[in-house]
Amino acid sequence: MANSVLVLITKPPYGLEEAFAGSRLALGMVSSGNVGKCNLLLVGDGTLNAVATQNPEIIGMPSNMEALQDMTDMEFKVYCVKQDLDERAPGASVLNFVEMVDWEKARKIIDEHQMVTTF
Amino acid sequence: MKTMTIQLRTGTMMNMDCNVAIKLTDAALDKGYDVRIFGYGEGVWLIKAGQEPKRFPNVGEEAKKLVETGKVEVTVCNTCTTARGFRRGEEIQGMKIGSLTNDLSRFVAESDRMVTIAR
Repeated sequence: MANSVLVLITKPPYGLEEAFAGSRLALGMVSSGNVGKCNLLLVGDGTLNAVATQNPEIIGMPSNMEALQDMTDMEFKVYCVKQDLDERAPGASVLNFVEMVDWEKARKIIDEHQMVTTF
Repeated sequence: MKTMTIQLRTGTMMNMDCNVAIKLTDAALDKGYDVRIFGYGEGVWLIKAGQEPKRFPNVGEEAKKLVETGKVEVTVCNTCTTARGFRRGEEIQGMKIGSLTNDLSRFVAESDRMVTIAR
């Protein structure tokens, strides 16, 4: 029986439903109390979710930053692969609760969880 | 008893993902698994009653037959159904409009494996 889940987000924050849906799914897992450990890893285009200067109000969309912040309030970790973000937004400021990792660490994080679901 | 959760995130008609979920469920039953399907996002349409595809498999009916085995549970996200105007009482008998927090988290906690079917 699974006691740990990693939500892997590969899609950017706006234009597609996935990133928001994935962060909400993770929040539901954590708040349920049924799953002991649930964390989130941003890779590829998903690393753009970690950018601190998002302004979704301009396009009338809900904020992914708030969804991620809600999770960290519940001892939930948000990891982001630095190399992938640097390739897409060099020099971007990053949300202060996001832990930047390299791919070696990302592989270990994936390995530490019993289940992985990708968005 | 082994249990597998299928997280389904695509709708019934635009591609074959629902058909794949049905066939995967069937195969898992053959291998001795109980199966839990959770519809999220567009995946909620799997349990909408009254599907009448003219030339394609009726995945709703096929899912109903699987549920009738007593080894398959199908639940979808209530936030996603509400957003789409899919109301309680419109689901196929034996399937349920539930929630991430109560149902998907329980499915995951009870499962040995999880498969995500999405685009």
